[in-house]
Amino acid sequence: MLKAPGWEMSIVWYFFLGGIAGGAYFTAAIADNFGSLRDRSVARVGYLLSLPLVAICGVLLIADLGVPARFMNMILHFKFWDPMSIGAWAVGVFGGFTFVSSVLSFTSSDSLASLRRKISLVGMLFGFFLAGYTGVLLSNSAMPFWGDSRLMGALFLASGASTGMAAVALIMFLSGGSAGEGWHKIEVADRFSMIVEVIVLGVFLALLGSAARPITSGHFGPLFWGGLVGAGLILPLVLNFFGGRVRALGAVSAALVLMGGFILRYVVVMSIQG
Amino acid sequence: MARTLAMFTDTSLCIGCRACQVACKQWNELGLEVPEWTGGYQNHAHFTDKTYRLVRFVEAPGAKPNGDLAWLLMSDVCKHCAQAGCLDACPTGAIYRTEFGTVNINQDVCNGCRYCVASCPFGVVSFNEQTGTAKKCTFCNDRIHNGLGPACAKACPTDSIQFGFRDELVAKANKRVETLKGMGFKDAQLYGADSGGFLGGLNAFFLLLAKPATYNLPDNPKLPQRNVVVDSLLSIGSAVLVGLGAMLAFRERGKGGR
Ligand code: SF4
Ligand code: SF4
Repeated sequence: MLKAPGWEMSIVWYFFLGGIAGGAYFTAAIADNFGSLRDRSVARVGYLLSLPLVAICGVLLIADLGVPARFMNMILHFKFWDPMSIGAWAVGVFGGFTFVSSVLSFTSSDSLASLRRKISLVGMLFGFFLAGYTGVLLSNSAMPFWGDSRLMGALFLASGASTGMAAVALIMFLSGGSAGEGWHKIEVADRFSMIVEVIVLGVFLALLGSAARPITSGHFGPLFWGGLVGAGLILPLVLNFFGGRVRALGAVSAALVLMGGFILRYVVVMSIQG
Repeated sequence: MARTLAMFTDTSLCIGCRACQVACKQWNELGLEVPEWTGGYQNHAHFTDKTYRLVRFVEAPGAKPNGDLAWLLMSDVCKHCAQAGCLDACPTGAIYRTEFGTVNINQDVCNGCRYCVASCPFGVVSFNEQTGTAKKCTFCNDRIHNGLGPACAKACPTDSIQFGFRDELVAKANKRVETLKGMGFKDAQLYGADSGGFLGGLNAFFLLLAKPATYNLPDNPKLPQRNVVVDSLLSIGSAVLVGLGAMLAFRERGKGGR
């Protein structure tokens, strides 16, 4: 009887990239505010990564509308309890924060750097929001499985954190920035996020029970267990413990986390589209 | 708000002629669709962007008072819920409640985000590819604002679909249930008539001859948005955990922060 909304690949990408953008930004903000001067490279990578990603998110969000030219209708009408409404708002506001932080990440002036840190403490809240709200959006629909899951937002947020940190780590590795202490710290932070994600996923599945069947069995089952749980969470978590010393393993771990984050959004969104 | 209007669909009177379905198509200029093979007389299988009234043909073994197979008919439609999931979901304000208590989509405002499609507990709203907007029964918004009843109610030859003030129709419906029970239809019941019941009551409510599940209707549909606070708080909890993890990882040792 129920009807799926027909959200497909562009929404999967939107959820995935939005998670990374949010995760990379709040990681950068935390590194910037609580880390040492040497962690500034981490912060800069995070800020600079979140800017293009949130721009892509905006494009994906608008392009997926039936009437893209009426995008502004969901900005002009503000419903504070509606994830779709505040989500559209948050993408715009967060985009502004990523832009300012990216620009200020090049400053050498102390006062501007301290301004950047203060700004990022506020922007961070929008980063968290962007990473998690998409899950709350799904869990407040009438669809089975989506609507049954109380922890969809929490799971998407943890995944946004782990994928955001993994993306920052991977960029540092590829650009040769993995030599310093920042690399070690981002690896540890990513490890925490992965552990949170594993725990949240476990509770998520336990609470759902048979309602999780669209992803845990049938067509999407192998991808969920093999691609997300096995290769996208457990394996990278194990590799991560060696990533501090053997940097290539840390990079492989980060790449697997990114893959897992994509698979998570993919199985959750597509399994309900029948 | 004006006095709440309603449609009462008494399925015990339905003869399956589909006059309502056709009248709806004609009045709302809904256009043709390719028929579907559903295994029975029903067409289409679901509500679509061009089918707002849909006569369901339900074959229910053992549902007759004497234990025979019951061939149940039900002319289904948007329920115009007092607590409407589609309305709460809509980020543009395109979905609104009229002064008569009905739920309507403003086609000039909808931007086709399709959140309403996923937020109707009855699978009513449908996306139209041509217009890029969401479509559903309007309760003949144009007609009721000009003193006419909905086209489906007007066309129904057996008064299976009745239109009027909600309080009057509910009283009528309750009497009808008693009559049917007296005739041996022990499962005769109203669906959505009780404004203290699920979704605050449906402004298009039904009299059914069997349990809601027999008609593929949810027993106790719930507002999809009821968990938004809990889900958000749990997400914030997750944010605090990963945030603390990152702070621990980046913290300057010995100084406990910057
Ligand atoms: S039945 Fe569905 S489309 Fe109709 S008012 Fe209720 S939630 Fe909205
Ligand atoms: S598709 Fe249109 S009517 Fe439905 S929620 Fe989006 S803007 Fe509102």
